[in-house]
Amino acid sequence: MNEYTLLILLLLISLLWFYFGNKTALSLKNKQLKLNSLPHYYGIYVALYSIIPSLFSYLLILVFDGILFSNLIMEFVPKEILNSPDFNKIIVLAQIDNAVRGIYFGEQPDWVTIASNQMIEWNNQSLIVNFFCSISLALGIGYLGFKNIHQEFRSRNSVEKIIISLLGLSSIIAILTTIGIVFSVIFESLRFFAIIPASEFLFGLTWNPQFEGAERAGSGQEGLASYGSVPLFVGTFLISLIALCVSVPIGLFSAVYLSEYANKKERSIFKPLLEILAGIPTVVYGFFAALTVAPLMRNGGSLIGLDVASESALAAGFVMGIMIIPFISSLSDDVINAVPQSLRDAGYGLGSTKNEVITNVIIPAALPGIIASIILAVSRAIGETMIVVMAAGLAANLSFNPLDAVTTVTAQIVTILVGDQEFESAKTLSAFALALTLIVITLILNFYALHVVKKYREQYE
Amino acid sequence: MVSNSNINNVKTKTIGEIFSKDPKIICRNVDVFYGEKQAIKDVSIDIASREIISFIGPSGCGKSTFLRCLNRMNDTIDTCKVKGSISLDKEDIYDEKIDVVTLRAKIGMVFQKPNPFPKSIYENVAYGPKIHGLSSSKEELDFIVENSLKDSGLWEEVKDRLQSPGTGLSGGQQQRLCIARAIAVSPEIILMDEPCSALDPIATAKIEELINQLGKNYSIVIVTHSMQQAARISQRTAYFHLGELIEVGETKKIFTMPKDKQTEAYISGRIG
Repeated sequence: MNEYTLLILLLLISLLWFYFGNKTALSLKNKQLKLNSLPHYYGIYVALYSIIPSLFSYLLILVFDGILFSNLIMEFVPKEILNSPDFNKIIVLAQIDNAVRGIYFGEQPDWVTIASNQMIEWNNQSLIVNFFCSISLALGIGYLGFKNIHQEFRSRNSVEKIIISLLGLSSIIAILTTIGIVFSVIFESLRFFAIIPASEFLFGLTWNPQFEGAERAGSGQEGLASYGSVPLFVGTFLISLIALCVSVPIGLFSAVYLSEYANKKERSIFKPLLEILAGIPTVVYGFFAALTVAPLMRNGGSLIGLDVASESALAAGFVMGIMIIPFISSLSDDVINAVPQSLRDAGYGLGSTKNEVITNVIIPAALPGIIASIILAVSRAIGETMIVVMAAGLAANLSFNPLDAVTTVTAQIVTILVGDQEFESAKTLSAFALALTLIVITLILNFYALHVVKKYREQYE
Repeated sequence: MVSNSNINNVKTKTIGEIFSKDPKIICRNVDVFYGEKQAIKDVSIDIASREIISFIGPSGCGKSTFLRCLNRMNDTIDTCKVKGSISLDKEDIYDEKIDVVTLRAKIGMVFQKPNPFPKSIYENVAYGPKIHGLSSSKEELDFIVENSLKDSGLWEEVKDRLQSPGTGLSGGQQQRLCIARAIAVSPEIILMDEPCSALDPIATAKIEELINQLGKNYSIVIVTHSMQQAARISQRTAYFHLGELIEVGETKKIFTMPKDKQTEAYISGRIG
């Protein structure tokens, strides 16, 4: 018997309660009594009543016995290991855990064998406790729910309430995860800012974390590494700007074409094709940029006497622009379609041509929505990583020249965190500071976009 | 050119006087189709200079469709086909030589729901003159805007806030703004598609007064659901039923002694 059998048992019990609840309700109905809700609602009510508390207790015991046992097991670890300077609780626990699973090589120290046997025993006991708790809860509380069934009981409303709280719980989980991500980044960033002053990070003009060594972390002396993030943000904005120069006109014009000029058939072909662009993995865009576009630009540049780096901001920005076209075209298409027909009629009624209606009436009316779509595309571009890693290079040049190799915030985070890293060094921690700054920037952009969209909605209600 | 000899020689089932002495628009045997469905059946009617004529009839009788044929607004609907002849000053408006843009500048339109552009009051009125190049200077444009707003009776209410958005006005004011916008391009005819149906009685009274004023200078064709409104403002009334023009005549006569049974039934409230 293991955890899964228990879960299946709990499900079976709740199914059983469903059956009984349903049957009781049906029998009430057969006695010509007028039930408040349909019979199956009584069944669902009892089933939910039995499974939710028992699942909850099951999970609770599962989580807390692990924590409890990992503390209790320390009794079995010899004093000399506990007191030694190399002692690490996580490693000791992993050692015992592996013994429990039977994964080890050679001879085990005696204390490990004893501790692991103890652990296995505890686990079995806990499973039995869990088994009894969950089953008795499922049966007991289910019975309480079952007793609730009578003619006037509003099971439909109760089921609705339970469902509503389940839905609310799901959205809370999503929100809590976001908060968790932000806080984990904030705490690591605070550790970074304890080593490197925020002013140096925010305003420094050189980014060079590669020479981070013992000098700085150990003795507090100046290391060779420098953490000025300005070149990264300049690179990010340069590439985003190039991407926008590509995507805004193309996206907007195709949106205008799709919504105003294309007939139904063309629209049904073009729109899905355009949206396929959004489905291409960014890594594919990345090697398209690195293997096709970048060499093309370098060769093209050398033909007209321009010195284009083989990994250039232009290539990365261009391909990124292609990537975000569907964001702009699809959203803009929606807002252009949302412009009321009456405004178009007004324009035509005054003797405007189609073009005049589009430029003088539809675009101004849809402008807030179009701006919002552009801002969303910008935050997408700023957060984009793969294309930049593959096509723009990693050299942190402070340059506004699109033909140079530049790097972006996300690309640097990747290079810093890939591979084996020491978690105490400023170099590793700097990734979190970069991430935090990036989150703040995109958050502001998203808030602004939402604000603009809200303003737009007010206008047509 | 439609030849003069046959315009008054037309077969029609319509009861009453479809001809006028001084016709501005001449419609002969007009059929309108939406795809397979025929929305207008063989309608012939004249619209005179400086007359106010109202189209009445039950919902779905085709009166709005017919109105929208007069300035070719139906062109924007792909499936819509118009047959027969409609001429403005004896020129066929469905002729290939006719530029629909200049046609619509000559025949202005006011819609059912007030639909000011999401721009300032000034820009709303200046829109038409700007796209048609009717003014050569800022002063001239200001003059046109001021006059149009005065003619629509809105000037006193908005002269201090010309730069505030047109959508911020009340419903009745918005509708008068739309009328100002239509007359700013100095049309010869104004088509109105139930211009008061979204307005309260006081705003309606103001618009009706305005229509009476405008009738001195323009031909006005107004589609309305309100028979009282038709009786109050129009000189002639045309009754449509199921796509056919049943009866046309002087408003007084139509409302007091309709010749057709269906017209009588509608006017006395038995159908509609």
